[in-house]
Amino acid sequence: MSPIRKVAVIGAGVMGAGIAAHVANAGVPVVLLDIVAKDNSNRSAIAEGAVEKMLKQEPAPFMSKGAAKLITTGNTEDHLDLVKDCDWIIEAVLERLDVKHALYAKLEGLRKADTVVSSNTSTIPLAELTKGASEDFAKHFMIAHFFNPPRYMRLLEVVKSDKTLATAYENVCRFADIKLGKSIVPCNDRPGFIGNRLGVYWLQTAVLEAMAAGITVEEADAIIGRPMGIPKTGVFGLIDLVGLDLMPHINVSMTALLAKDDSYHASAKPMPLISKMIAEGYTGRKGKGGFYRLNRDKGKAKEAIDLMTGEYRPQLRPQIDAIDESGRSLKKLLSHDSKHGAYAAKVMGLTLAYASSLVGEVSDQADAIDEAMRLGYNWKFGPFELIDQLGSAWLIEKLQKAGVAVPKFLSLASSKTIYRVENGQRQVLGLDGAYHDVKRADGVLMLEDIKRRSEPVLKNGSAAVWDIGDGVACLEFTSKMNSLDNDSMALISKAVKLVQKQFKALVIYNEGSHFSAGANLGLAAFAANIAAWGEIENLVSGGQQTYMALRYAPFPVVAAPSGMALGGGCEIVLASDAVQAHAETYIGLVEVGVGLIPGWGGCKEMLRRWTTLGNLPKGPMPAVIKAFEIISVATVAKSAAEAKELLFLKPDDGITMNRYRLLADAKAKALSLVDGYKPPEPPTFTLPGPTGRAALDMAVQGFYRAGKATDYDLVVLGKLAEVLSGGDADVIKPLTENEVLKLEFDHFMTLVRDDRTLARITTMLETGKPLRN
Amino acid sequence: MNRAVIAAYARSPFTPAKKGELASVRPDDLAAQVIAALVKNSKVNPADLEDLLLGCAFPEGEQGLNVARMISFIAGLPISLGAATINRYCGSSMTAVHVAAGAIAMGAGDAFICAGVESMTRVPMMGFNPMPNPDLVKTNPAAYMPMGDTAENVAARWKLSRLEQEQFAVESHRRAAAARAAGKFKDEIIAITTKKGVVVSEDGCIRADTTLEGLAALKPAFSATGVVTAGTSSPLTDGAAALLVCSESYAKKHKLNMIAAIKSVAVAGCAPDIMGIGPVGATKKALARAGITVAQLDVTELNEAFSSQGLVSMREIGLDAAKVNIDGGAIALGHPLGATGARIVGKVASLLVREKGKYALATQCIGGGQGIATVLEAI
Repeated sequence: MSPIRKVAVIGAGVMGAGIAAHVANAGVPVVLLDIVAKDNSNRSAIAEGAVEKMLKQEPAPFMSKGAAKLITTGNTEDHLDLVKDCDWIIEAVLERLDVKHALYAKLEGLRKADTVVSSNTSTIPLAELTKGASEDFAKHFMIAHFFNPPRYMRLLEVVKSDKTLATAYENVCRFADIKLGKSIVPCNDRPGFIGNRLGVYWLQTAVLEAMAAGITVEEADAIIGRPMGIPKTGVFGLIDLVGLDLMPHINVSMTALLAKDDSYHASAKPMPLISKMIAEGYTGRKGKGGFYRLNRDKGKAKEAIDLMTGEYRPQLRPQIDAIDESGRSLKKLLSHDSKHGAYAAKVMGLTLAYASSLVGEVSDQADAIDEAMRLGYNWKFGPFELIDQLGSAWLIEKLQKAGVAVPKFLSLASSKTIYRVENGQRQVLGLDGAYHDVKRADGVLMLEDIKRRSEPVLKNGSAAVWDIGDGVACLEFTSKMNSLDNDSMALISKAVKLVQKQFKALVIYNEGSHFSAGANLGLAAFAANIAAWGEIENLVSGGQQTYMALRYAPFPVVAAPSGMALGGGCEIVLASDAVQAHAETYIGLVEVGVGLIPGWGGCKEMLRRWTTLGNLPKGPMPAVIKAFEIISVATVAKSAAEAKELLFLKPDDGITMNRYRLLADAKAKALSLVDGYKPPEPPTFTLPGPTGRAALDMAVQGFYRAGKATDYDLVVLGKLAEVLSGGDADVIKPLTENEVLKLEFDHFMTLVRDDRTLARITTMLETGKPLRN
Repeated sequence: MNRAVIAAYARSPFTPAKKGELASVRPDDLAAQVIAALVKNSKVNPADLEDLLLGCAFPEGEQGLNVARMISFIAGLPISLGAATINRYCGSSMTAVHVAAGAIAMGAGDAFICAGVESMTRVPMMGFNPMPNPDLVKTNPAAYMPMGDTAENVAARWKLSRLEQEQFAVESHRRAAAARAAGKFKDEIIAITTKKGVVVSEDGCIRADTTLEGLAALKPAFSATGVVTAGTSSPLTDGAAALLVCSESYAKKHKLNMIAAIKSVAVAGCAPDIMGIGPVGATKKALARAGITVAQLDVTELNEAFSSQGLVSMREIGLDAAKVNIDGGAIALGHPLGATGARIVGKVASLLVREKGKYALATQCIGGGQGIATVLEAI
């Protein structure tokens, strides 16, 4: 079976186009076809239009503008033979069996001998799809079901038949895992697989119960949301996001295919309000609005629908005692004696019961169902992890009291937990009543697993160091949002000494949602409020020294960020020898937003990178201008690919698509640098000095007059200009690294003493939004 | 005294910087194609050429290294002629004409190529290394004032409404679009072939559909409270232009096509923060030197850096708007800084013939506070 080097996607709707974009994100050429456009002289207008639309879309389906160039567009009448040299053909056309069968018949004659055809169907079983197909086609056919949006949702449900060749199936799974970064969840060939079967049941149940119990949409989303580790869109917000028409659409297949006694039918009751909303164009965010809308006639007022009357009214901020009084205890929330507590108990009781009934149906493994709900719906905990939080016995009792049948799998767990840790190994309860190891895909290394079976080699309140094997140590941030403080710096300093003695290399990595939000602003604001300038000076100079120690340590340091790496979190990435970044890394120097400038070497590193790697015109100004442009507007790269364009990452830094494989890749990168490792030579900086400052000031003045910069921006950007142009430097006298760091330090300290900086920090801490003073 | 005459004029299409069809063309290649065609079409004997004088406002990068000499090589001109790059910002290639006319007057040559080029795509305004003198910035900040700010200053000092400026811009586009539709640019444009073999033969900046309503919707470009928008400013443009300037006796002897004679020239400084009124002082001097009055001018090309400065300059000089930029100005056509002077001298010379007039004026403002003017006379 040849490796997948070229892919075709047929169907350029939201899913097909998004899948094609994501294949392109992996650097793999992709053909995207749709039907011939009616009423258009350009017969390929549908596929071409889909790509153009995606280039403007937010959040962006493409990781870089360059990725779009890997897509070849066309139409299925004139260009279907483009699939001839593709190694994987993804069908993402209408959810109609006749349409799919007609397409498959055409593909039979066109596809290469070992090319796999997969369907992105969300509900139709594989057995139906391959009816009438040749034996050879069936051998090369499977379901690979992506979630929307394909770039960001990490779940890929796969289904094979007993005819599907193992090599064909594994080839696609491996490509989707490593190149597309998906977590592969094998499903049984049942309607809706896992995500839609359980997810849509959950959503519909929550809607029906809200209507029955007189719960508002805001209340429902507040309850069936954050307190349960479910995204804040909750139920109604999520339906608005995916489209109100999706559920009736899915119900058609599901109700036709599922057994009469399946609980799903109870959730798929007709909902007149939703039918009316769809008929009126209220299909959610893609339409005029949904359960929530922005009323443009009232100055973009936020409104929500009243589930009883069907009328829009101003959005409410619900006050829910059940949430406030439950702390972080799900059990307390579900037991709370109020209509809100009862609502939570009803919706989650039914959902968790239904999830339990699906073990053995959609998958034999509870952990697969958990993974699907975590990665397909961004739940922090899967349903069985939630059951463990509640206690199976407690849930069973609750269900029995409510007259809900207790599924077999849940009964099996009546006196035990669904998950347990045995000798450092996580195990999950099976249908046989025994525990089985929760297995990772081959080659995956997770700090979570290492932490379960070992003790840290170093640890304090903000960070820890772990032995991840083969002589590599892993530095993990452990503070809230992985923000950085004196403790973080102290532990890094210790780690630098320890690694020299006991390890070969250091990887900086963690498994938080975000690598690091930067310096702890709360502490900075506190210190500034009490004028503890000495403390702040220590933090800034201590950070500089620590990052320099990392940079010149006699062993390789590899940073492995994922999610946000901002401010000081970006600067530690910049200080590392090499980076292995998750593709979804959002990196940037955002200090100006809080009235500061990068003070832990960020200015210096951006100057160094743009000078040596920037491919810019010669002379002292281009690198200074480029660094200024990037830092002055707090540019954050929207992907690792974009971070390379901005030189937050170097051209030879690695990018890992699959989050689960990041640590293993980073460790391999670190080990590859060990032999003959020499710390880098200190750079010197030829900077323009006052003339550069004058040039940057002129540019900032222009932005100010044009209303694009505020009064205090002038001050902050003036300091940034001063540092980046080298203070009193002159082109005939290059500055040392320490001299540039001194400039960073001095001007950072001037700004942090300014009340307007404190106002910016305080606003950011309180509202999460920048103050434009 | 030997009179200097314009014996040929040509230009490239003018296309918008970055997104136009000439963005991919190096400025030296661009100018060389125009000059090679000019020399060929004019039938001048290349061996007789004394000098290539080439204006460029940001002569660095691909426009650096005495680019005039490099262009003479690329254009296949004989090594016997000299080449100099001249910088007077927007007045650069008009200065080239003045230098040639002066040399002809003193008997220092008979035939000159006076050209200009600017790729505002490939060499940004301010250049790659803007390094202003920090002391001068403090003592005389206007010295480095961005052009948009000077346009706002002119509008404010002469109390120009935004509407007047927009009417001026709409008229510029209307005239340019009409001239293009009537084929009036055909004779002056040299089609340019890009590296990929694409032939570019049409101007790219003219917007025939420009309306007052459309312009009114634009945000101020330089000052939040200002009245100057992208629509009332000349666009960043890529382009080249070239003239053959000869002594009258040489032109006659070789039966060259004499379009117009150079009657007088002038430059004059003004305050840098209102550089847009530069044409006023320069034109007054040039007219006095020519011994004529404004009323005697039959056609004028006044470079439209901005609507505001164009309007004020016309008003202060006393020009009749009907006779100024009759085929549209820089707001519609574009303003490739170094090339504009050669374009407007060549253009107004050919208009003098077309309109059967006697006197013509070409004038423009210059960043840093200057004006430059050339008075032509029919042959």
